[in-house]
This record gives sequence, structure tokens and C-alpha cells, in this order.
Amino acid sequence: MDRRRKYKEIIIWSILSAAITFAVAFFIIGYIMLKGSRTISAEFLLDSPKGFPLGSSGGVYPAIIGSLAFTGVACAVASLLAVSTAVYLKFYCTSRRLYNVIRLVIESTAGMPSIVLGLFGYTLFVLKLGFGVSVLSGGLVLGIMIFPFIEVRVEKRLGEIEQDMLLSSYALGVSRYYTIKRLVLREALADIISSVALAGGFAMGATAPIILTGAVIYAKAPESIMSPAMALSYHLYVLVGEGAPLEYVYGTATVLVMLILAINGAAMLIGRMKRGE
Amino acid sequence: MDIIMQIEGMGVSYADKTVLSDITVDIYKNSITALIGPSGCGKTTFIKSLNLLVEDEKDGAVKGSILLEGTDARKIPREKLRSKLGMVFQNPAPFPLSIQENMTYAPRYHGVRDKESLGQIAKRKLEVAGLYDEVSHCLDMPARKLSGGQQQRLCIARALTVEPSVLLLDEPCSALDIQNTAKIEAMLKELSRDYSIVIVTHNLAQARRIADYTMFMMSGELVEFGRTSQVFSSPKDERTRQYIEGVFG
Amino acid sequence: MKRDKAFELIIKAFTLVSVAILGFIIFFIGAESLPAFRYSGLAGFFTNERWNPIGADPVFSILPMVLATIYVSFLAVAIALPIGVGTAVFLSCIARESARRMLKPFIDLMAGLPSVVFGFMGLMVVVGYFEKHFSMSSGESVLAGGIVLAIMILPYIVSTCDTTMAEIMKSHKKTSDSLGVSKWHMIRYLVLPAAKRSIFAGAVLALARGMGETMAVMMVIGNSPLFPRLLGKCETIPALIALEMGGAPVGSLHYHALFAAGLILIIMRFAVSMAVWQIKKGSDF
Repeated sequence: MDRRRKYKEIIIWSILSAAITFAVAFFIIGYIMLKGSRTISAEFLLDSPKGFPLGSSGGVYPAIIGSLAFTGVACAVASLLAVSTAVYLKFYCTSRRLYNVIRLVIESTAGMPSIVLGLFGYTLFVLKLGFGVSVLSGGLVLGIMIFPFIEVRVEKRLGEIEQDMLLSSYALGVSRYYTIKRLVLREALADIISSVALAGGFAMGATAPIILTGAVIYAKAPESIMSPAMALSYHLYVLVGEGAPLEYVYGTATVLVMLILAINGAAMLIGRMKRGE
Repeated sequence: MDIIMQIEGMGVSYADKTVLSDITVDIYKNSITALIGPSGCGKTTFIKSLNLLVEDEKDGAVKGSILLEGTDARKIPREKLRSKLGMVFQNPAPFPLSIQENMTYAPRYHGVRDKESLGQIAKRKLEVAGLYDEVSHCLDMPARKLSGGQQQRLCIARALTVEPSVLLLDEPCSALDIQNTAKIEAMLKELSRDYSIVIVTHNLAQARRIADYTMFMMSGELVEFGRTSQVFSSPKDERTRQYIEGVFG
Repeated sequence: MKRDKAFELIIKAFTLVSVAILGFIIFFIGAESLPAFRYSGLAGFFTNERWNPIGADPVFSILPMVLATIYVSFLAVAIALPIGVGTAVFLSCIARESARRMLKPFIDLMAGLPSVVFGFMGLMVVVGYFEKHFSMSSGESVLAGGIVLAIMILPYIVSTCDTTMAEIMKSHKKTSDSLGVSKWHMIRYLVLPAAKRSIFAGAVLALARGMGETMAVMMVIGNSPLFPRLLGKCETIPALIALEMGGAPVGSLHYHALFAAGLILIIMRFAVSMAVWQIKKGSDF
């Protein structure tokens, strides 16, 4: 029967596809962790890169701190601005035109390739504003990159708040500020934090934006926001490029992946915790 | 009977769409005024315009004159106006806070700081709403854990914490069962001794049971207004009679 | 009262700052691109013989890079789409609820992996495989780029399609079953057709994403600014910018040309996004 054949094809196709997808997913994560876990040791995590080419021995400590620094700056800046913008759009913006314009600007930024943002950041932050190659410059560019991600999620969450609850609050003669502070933020806080954490994971893995704005091939762990720093993502790229011994490359990749998984895991936990309550 | 609110020529529109046109009515003090009419006739919009909540919504505009205790509602600072006109919605909307925190939310905003006074206000209003005995032992429990009927009574109690002169209720019992409805109706009758109440309801029997006055609205217009007994037994307008007799719903 | 006004002011200020910076970006890029377009002429920027920014008489042609970007991205979507949609069908229609709940996080996990890691694995596995089994002198190629990029965009396609299909299943499975129709018939004649718009939108979004991807692709395509051939090396626009960014002195023609390349990339992505927007407008969900 011709029909049965068509169905058989669908079954085979979907199961095969799923098999491929999950095989690839498990393989990538598993293979890296497997090969990299051998290299991971206290020394690897706490020491600086040494050897020739750089990174053939020693550790990745400065890169870990650097990655955390870049991500920290990015999250701090982006969350402050993105949450404010979401609050403005949902609670204070009355003009439909203005709303559309702002949405358009945010959408366009979301669509901008990260390397172009890096180019922009290089010219503006590093050169014109004189921040130099630094955690600040790199962090700001990353912040721009993750801003739309956070804003869209927070705005969506704010929109999911029960209208009646808000009206009840206003009906009590209470101001928007008070309503936001004591009701809205309480309701949405877990999701906001979770979105910021997810964005942080995203920022930590990004290489292109920080290539010329903050990440360097070798530096000590950054002492201030104005110092340049190493980053795990960039370090990984450099190691690959210079043909460093594979164990160290896998090791670096593993540390990076585990950090990101930890952040994403924390984000999901926070989100789930609030819902379970 | 004293008049507490005078509305004249009130019209409401959202963007270009007119929802209410030319409403003129008096709300009497310390009585219950029921607002009845078919779905979509503008009942909710009416009470939302009394405290000018409509103007906070997107593209909402209110025109005409609204006098509260002789003063133009628009001349009263918005927050003061809101605290004089308490409002309760159809679906209980307790805040995601504890029962106690729900009750102290508004007083805290309006300046009451010390714990004693806040506690007193909460207790008094919960008693007025007939809820205190049921919850006095668990005031720190999240309000959302209460039953639907209790939540709604909490919302009424909460609305009372700002010492309103008028209570506006939008179908407060439509999501509740018979027992809870009876409890709330009894509570409203008690409250009407000290407060002026406007209640939107689609339940004609309820209007007959508790309201002193009744407004009948249709398609954004006020068709008839008068003492409940008169509106129900000898309505002046043919449409009123038809609605009451169930010709349309 | 004062606190309310202050808060409102702060919120508005932050929003203004955000929008100003974001809005500024596109203007800045446009402005910094102009000198390059003026030098080569708008058409010339595409039709000159090659990309040679150094030397006394620099020549700029972005065409090989534009073609490479398009080639690699389309190839990636062509590979990832059937696999992604098939996986989505599996997750939403075939797998049991418990299996779905267990497997879905892995998709999200994959989406969270950094592109350098994909590039690294691509280099090790894909390029290595090509060099070993196809005896190519260098496995770095458009094909390698397409495969690696496909793996990267796979989770996004799966996610988008799965969400839509799960919705369709939820709304219509009972009705379909009550008509006495088999699950496969439902997939073939209800789920897939109903999800068509979403699948297309997902594909186009993945395409846009792929065009902007820098690291993973850069590490496996060889980076020669030649006209792209399936098994030959190529250079995409993001790779071009990343590699030459450091070496172009600020204010030089080279520097402006890189901005121009970036602008063209943005326009390409924008064109693709507009297609999505049009599709969404046409749909009634």
C-alpha cells in the first residue's frame, strides 16, 4: 500500500534525524569533557599559561578570571539598562510610535553580527573614548550584544503579570513606582535573574566581540576594569591557531564549557525554584 | 438621601471608539447601587471611569463632569481620588504577598510606618469584611493560598484600608459559589451603613436582593435609573422591562 | 511622591541611554563605511577584481566574501533543516512525555555551547576526516564550514519547530484521534502542513544567524579570499573582519573598507529578517 510506504519514510526520517542530532550533541559534549578532564587539575586551574608556544603547559587561571570579569561587566551593564528599558516600555511608555521605534532599534541590535559590534566597540570604546584594550571595553561590547536578549525576555515576563493585580494596586491610590517595587519586581525577579544568567553564559562563550576590545594573548589576571585580560574563549582560539598540544586545548575547552553549563544550570534552577513555590 | 457622587454627561472612548455616551446619574450616600445590563454594555467601563482608571489605560479618555462630594474629580490629586473610591475586580487579585502584607500594602504607601498602627488597620478592616476570625492565626500565609471566596473578601478588606467613601465592585461574586456569594452579599449590606457601594452585576436576583438603587445600561447608554423596587416592578423603559424579563441576556 | 518622580526619571534616563547607544551603532557603521564606498564606487566595491587592501593602490572587492557567506550559510541550512525538522517531529509527536522532558534540555545545552568550541571540534573532526579520507591537502573548505555551521544552527531549528509542533499536537491530537486517523497520517497531513510557516521562519532565522557567525566558520574554511567552491577554501565576511581588524590602521582606507564589509553583512541579515517578518505577517496564529 502506497500510504504505508509514505508513513514508513516519515518514521525513519524523524527517528534517524533525532538520532543524528542527539548523537552529535552527546558526542561533542562528551568527547570534549572526556579528553579535557585528564588535563584538569588544581595546577591547570590555578596556574598561568607557560611554555612555548604559550599555553603548552601551565594553566588557564588568568583566562578564567578574565572571562568572569568580562561577563561580570557585561551582565551588570546590560541588566541595568535592559531591565530599565523593559520597565519603561511596559509601564511608562504611552506613545505607540515611540514604542515601535525603540523596539525597532532593539531588534536591529539583536540582529547585528557580533564581529561588527566588536569593530564598533574597538573604534568607540578602545580608541575614541580612550578606554584602551580592557575589561571595560570588552565588557561593554558584550553588554551591547546581550542587551536585546535580556530586554526581550524581561519585557515578556512583565507582560505576563496579571492586569487586574496592577489595576488593583493603582486603584488603591498607589504609584507606579511603589507598584513596581513591591509587586512587579517580586513577581518577576526570579525570571529576570534567570534571563541575566543565561545571557551571561552566552557572553562568556563569545569570542569575536572581545578580540580587539579586551582579550589579549597573554596577561595576568586583571587587576582593574581598565586592564586587558585573557579570556577562555579567546585563549582556546589562540591555542588552536598556534598548534598547542591537544591536551591543553581540550582542557581549556572543558573549563569553558563547564563554566557555561554551570551558569546555565544555575539559571534554570532559579527559574524552576520560583515556579515550584 | 444624600448624594455622594454626581455624574453628568459622562462619555468614555478608547482611541476613536466610543464606549460610553452621555451618562447622567447620581450615586446616593450609604446605599447600594446596582449596575445591570447585557454583556458588553459598558458597566465595567463605567465604574473604571469613576476613579479615572480609564485614563491610565492605553488611549483611554473620559469627558463630562464627575463630582465627588461636590468636588470635581479631576481636580483631586489622582492618588487621593483613588483612595476615596475603592475598587474590587471580578477575579480575585490578591497580591503575591502574605495576607498581612496585602492589608498593609496601601497604608504603608500613604505614610503609615509603625508596625502597631499597620497591624491595627489590617485587623479592623479584616473584621469589617468578616474575614478576621478565619485568618487571624495565619496572617503570614501567602494570600494566594486562600480559597476563592476568602480571596475576594480579602480584596474587599484591602480596598477598605484606604478609607474610601465609595466602594466600586465589578461582579465580585461571579467567580464564586452560592455560599461565598451569600457571605459577601451579607457583608456588603453591612458595609452599606458606612460606605456608598456601586456594584456591577449580571445577576438580577442579586440586584433585587441587596441594592437600594439600580442602573440599567445598554450599548454604552444609561437607559433607566431609580429605586430597585420601582425599576424591577414597574420599569419606565420598554428595554428595561425586556431585559428584566429575560427577553435578551 | 518625590521618590516616584525620581524613579520615573531614572528609568527614562536609562532607557534613553540604551536606545541612544544602540541607535548610534548603525549610524556610526554607516558613516565609517562611506569613505570606502566613495573610493571604490558602490558598484566597484562588488565588481573589482580582488580584495587587496595593502599596497600603493588598494583594490576592494567584497564579492568573493559575500558569495562565501551566502554559500556557507545556505549550505548549512540545507543540511540542518531536514535533520532539525525531523528531530522536532520526533520530540513533539513520537517521543513519550518523559523522554521529551529528558532530551529537550540537551538541545538547549547544545545551543549554549560557544562557537569557538564548535570551531575547534569542527577542525578536529570534520577537517581531520576530510584530510584523512578524501586525501585533500587541506580539509578546510566551504563544505567543512557548512557542516560545522549546520551543527551550530541545528538546536535553533529544533527548538523553534518543536515549540510550534507541540502546540499543534496539544490543540488537535484529540480531534484527530477521534477521526480514527493514525499518528503518521496526522504528522504527514496535519502537523507538517500546519507548521510549514513556522518551519520556514525557523529556517530563515537560522540562515540569518549563520551569516553572522564568526568563529566556528572561520576556523574551518581556510580564509582565502577566493571565489568559493564547495571543496575549496573561502572567506566569509565575518572572518574577513575578524582577521584584518587588527592590522588595519584607524582612519585608513582598509579600516573603512572593513566597516563597509560589516555594513553589507548587516544589510544582508536585515534582508533575510525582513523575509521572516513578511512571513509572520501573513500567518494567522
